[in-house]
Amino acid sequence: MNDNTHFIVNRIPSLTWNWLHMNETDLKEVPAGKPSAVSQDIPEGISVRESTESALSDLKTGMGANIDQLVKASKTPIHVLETESNAGRLQNAHLDFDYAGSNAYTDAVEISVEENTELTVVINFRSKDKEEATAALQTRYHVAPYGKLTLVQINYLPDSIDFLNDIGGQVEDHGDFRLIQLILGGKNNYYGSFTELSGYKSNLATDIGYIVTGRHKLDMNYVANHNGRKSNCDINASGVLRDSADKLFRGTIDFHRGCGGSTGTEMENVLLMDENVINRTIPVILCDEEDVEGNHGASIGKLDENLMFYLQSRGLTEEEIYEMMAQARIDAVAAKIPDDEAKEEVREFLGEE
Amino acid sequence: MAKEKTEVKDIDRSMYDFRYSEDDAFKLQEGLTPEIVAEISKEKNDPQWMADFRQKSLEIYNKMEVPDWGPSIEGLDMDHIVTYVRPKNNKMQSDWKDVPTDIKDTFEKLGIPQAERKSLAGVGAQYDSELVYHHVQDEVAAQGVIYSDVESALHGPYADMIRDHFMKLITPNDHKFAALHGAVWSGGSFVYVPAGVHVDIPLQSYFRLNAAGAGQFEHTLIIVEEGAYLHFIEGCSAPKYNVANLHAGAVELFVGKNATLRYSTIENWSKNMYNLNTKRAKVEEGGKIEWISGSFGSHVSYLYPMSVLNGEGARSEFTSVTFAGKGQNLDTGCKTVHNAPHTSSYVNTRSISKDGGISTFRSAVVMTPKAKGSKSSTSCQSLMVDNVSRSDTIPAMDIRTEDADVGHEAKIGRISDEVVFYLMSRGMTEEDARALIVRGFADNVGKELPLEYAVEMNNLIGLEMKGAIG
Repeated sequence: MNDNTHFIVNRIPSLTWNWLHMNETDLKEVPAGKPSAVSQDIPEGISVRESTESALSDLKTGMGANIDQLVKASKTPIHVLETESNAGRLQNAHLDFDYAGSNAYTDAVEISVEENTELTVVINFRSKDKEEATAALQTRYHVAPYGKLTLVQINYLPDSIDFLNDIGGQVEDHGDFRLIQLILGGKNNYYGSFTELSGYKSNLATDIGYIVTGRHKLDMNYVANHNGRKSNCDINASGVLRDSADKLFRGTIDFHRGCGGSTGTEMENVLLMDENVINRTIPVILCDEEDVEGNHGASIGKLDENLMFYLQSRGLTEEEIYEMMAQARIDAVAAKIPDDEAKEEVREFLGEE
Repeated sequence: MAKEKTEVKDIDRSMYDFRYSEDDAFKLQEGLTPEIVAEISKEKNDPQWMADFRQKSLEIYNKMEVPDWGPSIEGLDMDHIVTYVRPKNNKMQSDWKDVPTDIKDTFEKLGIPQAERKSLAGVGAQYDSELVYHHVQDEVAAQGVIYSDVESALHGPYADMIRDHFMKLITPNDHKFAALHGAVWSGGSFVYVPAGVHVDIPLQSYFRLNAAGAGQFEHTLIIVEEGAYLHFIEGCSAPKYNVANLHAGAVELFVGKNATLRYSTIENWSKNMYNLNTKRAKVEEGGKIEWISGSFGSHVSYLYPMSVLNGEGARSEFTSVTFAGKGQNLDTGCKTVHNAPHTSSYVNTRSISKDGGISTFRSAVVMTPKAKGSKSSTSCQSLMVDNVSRSDTIPAMDIRTEDADVGHEAKIGRISDEVVFYLMSRGMTEEDARALIVRGFADNVGKELPLEYAVEMNNLIGLEMKGAIG
């Protein structure tokens, strides 16, 4: 529902009790904004253009149709990145979204990776503005058979910016989509991703690392939609909540009839550092197919007592151990980024914290 | 082989599916109006506060929406449900020989009098809207244990206790069918176990719905005082009709300081039943609630026993198995609220879907800021027996203290071909091999039940698994 009083995002595919307030999030009102300043470093083999028409608009996204309407209303041009077929492994592409000079930004990106081509796109989000603002980005992608797309998104935003980050795409036969997201900044963050695993042996790997502090919110909705036979997904979210942070993770593995032989796993690991944090989690498995294996697990709260005892016996204080383990959660996700420059920048950013 | 297939098609549910004529029954008219609710109050000789409570609940019911998140209940038309049915000249008896013949035959076929003689401390038997039999062993009564119908308790020495507790844990505002229950409840049991009393053998209530197109709305209220122990067993069944039947009971359990209550249910309603039941326990300091639940029947179920851990060190255990077969959509699970320090909860569930059945495990673990040092562990496993069924897991966790330890794991999968092959190589038929695997899968509940009930549950699984092949 999107009218003057409601802007619904991150609705889970299968609803549960309304009193939990986890089914969806109502942002009330999100202003359509202007395009942000985007600096690009695009290597050879990738064509870049701006378009007013979306070629991938049929693909669902994690945050839902209201973001489509927002993008349409903003009339923002879509940054389109396309590869050739059989191009092998391409050098990494870099996009930097810098939010400056406005109180609302809306951007859109589309990435198409053709057959037998492998591409990594690293997207950073930053701003030096201290003024309150809302930034929204919608990214759609298509991975052709035997293609591979790794999308890295790193959020370095200041705590003046509310950020909406919406992703949706399709992976065809033997295709591979890897999503690595580090959420290190921003005021209130809303993230969603919907992956249509339509292809035989299509694969999704999602790694999310986050630190939420202050009174900030992180609201997430990740969906792996299995239609292809022997498709696979791994969704891992790992993070740290401090102060009065409020986090909601929704993860859904949806096995549709006909996706025989598919497997899916989602794991969440959350370290709660302060007494006023709020941690909400809803890891869903929907299964309309017999020949599948779905697993999910969650570990929330304090560190394991045996681990604490071991580290304390080595001379570390409880506070040092918690700081070390918090850092380790982010480092573990950062280590998966296939881009040395990006990895180094994350390390520097965390060192400054 | 052909013979085996014939057996498969002719599943014998006769032990539950017999019925008797309703000619000798008093019924209110179909539907739900203030006049019908007033008629129920009159039939039951309600005290004024209860009559007012019913009317208030009806107002709430009329204002509330049906759930937008669970299985469809479009087939349930309250305008065609009879909310009150009782045998004419009904009077609750404490000796089986005084119970009308048809009704006595019903419970004998279900094995209730036999079970009472062998292994129960007391029995309550409800037929449609009213209790027809209630009895508790003398030695248990001598310990001060009260086991009666709620209506009698409303007019006896425990009237104030009933008024203090009735629908205080499950309020009519909770959801539409809790409000419905508040308006038309009838029958059920009241159990009071005084402080320090350990009831060594279980009490059982059995609910039988015989009338077509009727609802059953029994209310179970159990108070277990400090340091006491009780095992309460609830069973239910109905014959199958072509029209919808409705069960919207309510179970309110108050577990005192350092007390333990084990509440076991084998639910085997007929497959035209909408089972919209609400169960809730409040557990005080050091107390423990143990839910054991087997869900086999109903067309549609919404069933999520809730534990409110309200005192320091309170604990809950929830162990369940749900078996959804053809035409069934069983949405089951549990809710746990940790509202005091050092509370703990353990959830261990299994669900099985077969022959187009849909099973959903739905849960919520809520830890409030008061729940420091609390722990929760949930394990849910689902088995898909064929490729036309469906199984979903929808667990939610809301944790509002950093000093918590919450673990959750879930698995969905199929029966391993290798294991079936192994068992067949040892001489079993494929059907028996699969039934054996499913029985083993459901053993988490079976091993927690008294032997007689574990056998009944295994028989139910065997019955349901007939026809899994071929």
